[in-house]
Amino acid sequence: MATETINHKWGMVIDIDRCTGCQACVVACQAENNIPLNTEDRFRQRRAIEWIRVERYWEGEFPNIKARFIPILCQHCENAPCEPVCPVYATYHNNQGMNVQVYNRCVGTRYCANNCSYQVRFFNFWEPVWPESLKNQLNPDVTVRSRGIMEKCTFNIQRLRKAERVIEGQRGERITDENLKEGNFLPACVQACPTDTLIFGDWNDPSSKISNLKEKHFVDGGRGYKLLGDLGTQPNVIYLKKVDINAEHKVDAHA
Amino acid sequence: MLKKLIILFTVLGGLAAGGLVTLLLVLFVARAWWSTPFEVGPFGGSPEQPIEYPHTIHAGSGVLLLSDGSPKLDGDGNELHGLGLDCTFCHRNVDKGESAGVPPVEQCIYCHKVINSDEDLPEVALLIKAWENKSPVVWERIHRLPDHVRFVHEAHIRYFTEPGNTMPSGEQAIVAANVCAVCHGDVGNMEEVKQVRSLKMGDCVDCHRDNGAPTDCTTCHY
Repeated sequence: MATETINHKWGMVIDIDRCTGCQACVVACQAENNIPLNTEDRFRQRRAIEWIRVERYWEGEFPNIKARFIPILCQHCENAPCEPVCPVYATYHNNQGMNVQVYNRCVGTRYCANNCSYQVRFFNFWEPVWPESLKNQLNPDVTVRSRGIMEKCTFNIQRLRKAERVIEGQRGERITDENLKEGNFLPACVQACPTDTLIFGDWNDPSSKISNLKEKHFVDGGRGYKLLGDLGTQPNVIYLKKVDINAEHKVDAHA
Repeated sequence: MLKKLIILFTVLGGLAAGGLVTLLLVLFVARAWWSTPFEVGPFGGSPEQPIEYPHTIHAGSGVLLLSDGSPKLDGDGNELHGLGLDCTFCHRNVDKGESAGVPPVEQCIYCHKVINSDEDLPEVALLIKAWENKSPVVWERIHRLPDHVRFVHEAHIRYFTEPGNTMPSGEQAIVAANVCAVCHGDVGNMEEVKQVRSLKMGDCVDCHRDNGAPTDCTTCHY
C-alpha cells in the first residue's frame, strides 16, 4: 500500500539571450530562502551567500563594449563533485534529480564547497542575524541555517513539496508546467524573472517546456550547452547561449 | 600527616562531585534518549497554561470527573459527559495546512458568547477578558519539533482518512481525531495535555517505512 509517487526530475533551462542582468532572481532568492544579509564587508571577505548570482562580463573595447550576463546557481549535477567528498553524507542526490544538503547532518568540513566547480556552495561563517524590522519577513517553510553549516540552492524544495501535496495529493493530477505556475510553486527566482530567462520544469515530463527546449537546442547548430560541460558533471541545469547578430559564426536561434 | 589527610579528602571530594555530575549527565542523556520521555525534575510534563482549558469537556466524550474522582453531576443529578467535538472543530487548519494551529480567541468566543458567558467560571472569565482587551491568549506549546523538521499535518490526516488506508494500529480512521490520536494520544481524555510519543526521527522513520511513505531526507528536512 505504498503511496503512488510519480518520479520527477527537476531541472532548469537558462536562456542567456534573454537575461538583462536585473538581479531580480537574486533578490527573490534571498527573500524566499532566509539568506542572511550580505553586507559589504562580507562581500570583501568573499563570504557572501548568494544561492543564485548574476555574473557580469565585458566583451570588446570601449566604445564597442557589451555587457554579458550569466545567472549561476547550483547545477544539481547528476555526477556531482560535492557529493563523494562529504564525510557525513550530508549532501547527496535524491530521487528527484536534486542535489540536496541536509542541514542537520552537516558538520561544516567545507570539502564540498572546495570541490564544487561552480562555486555555488556557501558556508555560514556567522550566526545569521536580521534587524528587528526584517524578522517578520522570514519564511517559516525554510530552515534558518545556523553558523558552521553549508547551504546551497534547493530549487525551492519547500514549494515543490507543497506542489506535490496540493496538486498530486489533493487534486490527484500530475504536476505540469501550467499548474506549477498557477499555484505559485515555481522557484522564487523563476517566478521573479521578468524576461523568462529562467525556465523551470520536469525533465521526466516530455511535454514540459524545458524538455522541448532541450530537444530543440541540443542539436548541431543549436544554442544549448552545459556549464563547464567537459568536466562531466552532467548538470540538470542547461544554458542556451546568447544570439549575437554581429558574431562571425552565427548560430541559428531557430534551429 | 595533616597534609596527607587534606589531600586525601580533596581527592575523595573531587571524585564524589565528579561522580555526581556524571550521574546527572547520564540521567539527562538517558531521559532524552528514551523512546518515551519520562519526567526528571523540571523536564517533561505539562507546562502551566494561561487558561486551564479542559480538553475533557470539549473533545472528550467520557463522564466528566471532579478533582476528587467522583462524577460531575448536573442540576438533576445526571452524570455530565464531554461534548466530544472533533479535533478539527477548533484546530481548523489541521486538514488544510502544515500546522494544526491553535484557534484564535474569536473562535472560542463564537460559542462562549452564549455558553457559560454569564456564569461564574474563572477560566471562561479569563477568556472573555482577553477578548475584551483584544489580546491573544499566549498558550504554552507542548509538542515541539526542531526548526529543521517540517511536519505537515494535512498530508498525514488526508492519507489515513482515505478509504483503503489503515492506521498503524490496523484500524480504519473514520474522523481526523482517530489520526490525531496516533501521535498525540487520547487528548480528549487528558486533564492536562502531555506528550505521549517521543516524536523523534526514529519514530517518524519507522512509521514512514511501515506505510510505504518516502524516507528521503528532503521529505522533512529542507
